Amino acid sequence: MEQSVNYLGLIPLFPLMGAVFIGLLHVFSCDRYKLPEKVYGLLACIGPILSFVMALKVFFALKALPVDSRFLSHKAFTWFSVGDLHVNMGFLADPLSCLMLLFVTLIGSLIHVYSIGYMGGDKNYGKFFAYMNLFLGSMLVLVLGDGPVVMFVGWEGVGLCSYLLISYYSEDRSNVLAGNKAFIVNRIGDFGFVLGMAFLFWAIGGQGFDYLSLKANVHHLTPAIALTVCLLLFVGATGKSAQIPLYVWLPDAMAGPTPVSALIHAATMVTAGVYMVARFSFLYAHVEMAGTIVAWVGILTALLAAIFGMFQDDIKKVLAYSTVSQLGYMFAGVGVAAYSAGIFHVFTHAFFKALLFLGAGSVIYALHHEQNIWKMGGLKSKMPKTYITMVIGALALAGCPPFSGFFSKDEILYSALATGHYGIWAVGVLVAGMTAYYTFRMIFVVFHGQPRDQHAYDHAQESPAVMTVPLIILAVGAVFAGFLNVPGGQTVSHWLAPSLTEHHPHGGAFAMVFAMVTSIIAFAIGIKIAYTKFGQGGPEPVFNGFEVFAYNKFYVDELYNAVFVQPYKAIGSSIWRIIEPNVTDAPVKGISRLYMILGAAFKVFQVGYVRVYAIYMIVGLSLMSLFLSQSLN
Amino acid sequence: MFADGLFIGFAVLAVLGAAGLVLFRHPMNGAMSFVVTLISLAGLYALLSAKLIFALQLIVYAGAIMSLIVFIIMFLNIQPDDLPKEETKLLYIIGGSIIVLPVGLFLVKIVKSIPMSSAALIGNDFGGVKQVGLLLFKDWLVPFEIVSILLLVSLIGAVVLAGKRGSIK
Amino acid sequence: MIHSYLYLSIILFCLGIVGVISRRNVFTVFMSIELMLNAANLTFVAFARVHESMDGHVLAMMVMAVAAAEAALALAVVILLHKHKSKLDTNVFSLLKG
Repeated sequence: MEQSVNYLGLIPLFPLMGAVFIGLLHVFSCDRYKLPEKVYGLLACIGPILSFVMALKVFFALKALPVDSRFLSHKAFTWFSVGDLHVNMGFLADPLSCLMLLFVTLIGSLIHVYSIGYMGGDKNYGKFFAYMNLFLGSMLVLVLGDGPVVMFVGWEGVGLCSYLLISYYSEDRSNVLAGNKAFIVNRIGDFGFVLGMAFLFWAIGGQGFDYLSLKANVHHLTPAIALTVCLLLFVGATGKSAQIPLYVWLPDAMAGPTPVSALIHAATMVTAGVYMVARFSFLYAHVEMAGTIVAWVGILTALLAAIFGMFQDDIKKVLAYSTVSQLGYMFAGVGVAAYSAGIFHVFTHAFFKALLFLGAGSVIYALHHEQNIWKMGGLKSKMPKTYITMVIGALALAGCPPFSGFFSKDEILYSALATGHYGIWAVGVLVAGMTAYYTFRMIFVVFHGQPRDQHAYDHAQESPAVMTVPLIILAVGAVFAGFLNVPGGQTVSHWLAPSLTEHHPHGGAFAMVFAMVTSIIAFAIGIKIAYTKFGQGGPEPVFNGFEVFAYNKFYVDELYNAVFVQPYKAIGSSIWRIIEPNVTDAPVKGISRLYMILGAAFKVFQVGYVRVYAIYMIVGLSLMSLFLSQSLN
Repeated sequence: MFADGLFIGFAVLAVLGAAGLVLFRHPMNGAMSFVVTLISLAGLYALLSAKLIFALQLIVYAGAIMSLIVFIIMFLNIQPDDLPKEETKLLYIIGGSIIVLPVGLFLVKIVKSIPMSSAALIGNDFGGVKQVGLLLFKDWLVPFEIVSILLLVSLIGAVVLAGKRGSIK
Repeated sequence: MIHSYLYLSIILFCLGIVGVISRRNVFTVFMSIELMLNAANLTFVAFARVHESMDGHVLAMMVMAVAAAEAALALAVVILLHKHKSKLDTNVFSLLKG
């Protein structure tokens, strides 16, 4: 029994309207006189903040409902109705989407405020905020959609905005290429997603193609079809959430402005894949094999990305690989059927990863867009607020108790252990140690020791308040968010229970303690190694052997280029050079040539002598009289 | 009897004149033979009791139009070199007659299908000036007026065409 | 009978067509056209005699008037053409060649 509420539709509508309005303002004022940046900043933040207020309203409305009927739905209009397929533009607010809604709008608003300061002086200020609002609107459509089709609308929308924002500094060709890469790789994933949707519709979509109907009908699926659908949908998730084999776009996406990296490629868009698996928990729970595959892909991605992250020298790339790695954790969580654990890690990760990215952005801003960590050093005295908040974020990421990351990561590892996936657990512990290592390598190199570039160091200063206040707010979240789901209290898991098909494993108290202790030990080892190597600030290390291999990301990009991109380009150019002139252009040109030939043939008759034209007339007359004299017989 | 002889004479003269017009090289010669044709045609009109038309033919056609043409021919002072060299004249004429043959045969066939009627004797009033004039100004008044406008138009046209002095490039 | 007049008119008409299409001299062409008009006149008058009505004569008069008007204009054009190119050959004027 859902109640129908109209204001659900307003939540994505505010940022979308904002996007349109700001975009039009920017376009029309570009050539005449530039509006002051404050105007754009104000307009841009109104949408997200209003959406956050409405999200709070939804939350309180849901809390007031009894547990077994915690649904709010709103059908805006019937989008299309073809045969058995009836798709409405509808929105569904249940505990899962409410949780996503809250942190998406909160972190979105904070990052918008931060961007007012970070993007100051940029000449396309208005365009940036139009795209950001558009992104937030699409993400909210994705989260609030009441069926896979509406979710897919949001899915595509965030992919588009990701492309637009990565290529934002479009004067530089490499940025545009990075945007293209993101969009194209995403598209490959989307193809899998569409196939999955089509299969699902074909199997059980006849009685309604929204989540509630699908959940009610899921027992009609044969295991084979359910497995196929799950895996195809997961292909879409590998594209959107950067898992093996489609993760290659995320490190390149760091070419976009840092707030973009924080919002899209850390906190919100990339978690859409995890959200999707959680949404379809009724499907994944139906077939255990699918979940196992998802979990293994996730944890292997986590391992691979952690290896890469240990050797990067661009501060944003370290955080990008860290994101890929943590996403792997989330998929490991939802793969072992611990859906609430995975979503909880999404929630805490959003806080500390956004915090780390915004802090990195603060450092980059202070050093005038220098991103190489081997040119930084000793900044902790110059930028105290940034330093402290980043350390808090790093501790949360590395999994240090009692920060939030510890609780969420531990929940996932415990679930893996309790359901018998020992391999996944072991790799997970290893990756936890590596996470601690590379995170604190970054912190030590950037903030401790002696400055490596004296000139940049002298000009560095703490960022303005409009940038540090969001950092502080996020740090508070990073510290305290974990307490929402401590073992024993499990507030978040209970809150999410109506939306998910979950069976909580009971591994016993020993397993719980064992998991906790091992993850703390892994954290301690990682941070100790990092401190030994970089704690006093050291020079840039020289790589050899395996390290070079890892620094070049195992040459995966080059491999993809050779195996997929070059042959595809060769096919395309051969079609362009051979098939197109002969097969598609030839008939068209042939027709025009035919007419020219016909015209030249008839030109013979146009001699220009009037006498000849008179002869033509008489010839016609005599032919006519021949014919008439025949008929006169 | 006598009328038949007259008819044959006039007809032969007319055809010979027309042939001469088509065959002569110098237009002056052609114009002279054309005059012969016109005069014999006038005789034929007289045989057909068309008194007014007989007179008009001689006055207007043979008298005015042909003299105008002859005048212009002489005005342009044509030398034998100015005339176009028509080497293939005979060939074209033979070809032309072959082309025209079906037309002629068709017309002959039509004429053959007209029933023969006896030539009734007609009174003295047929074809005279008064009778034709009455018919012209009673039944054919509007065409008459239009033809006079036509003549006016051609007069103006001729003046305009001949008057363009300096604009010939 | 009247048929002989009609046959004569047909012969003159065909001679006129032959003259128009086979001669290149401007005057000859023009006079051939006049010949054709005369052949038509003969037909009109012959039929007027058959039907014993004078409409044919009136029409013959109209034809004569039109022929006179056309003669004036045609000769003016011939004079202009002669001034332009000082040749009397219809093949010289071929601007319509396409």
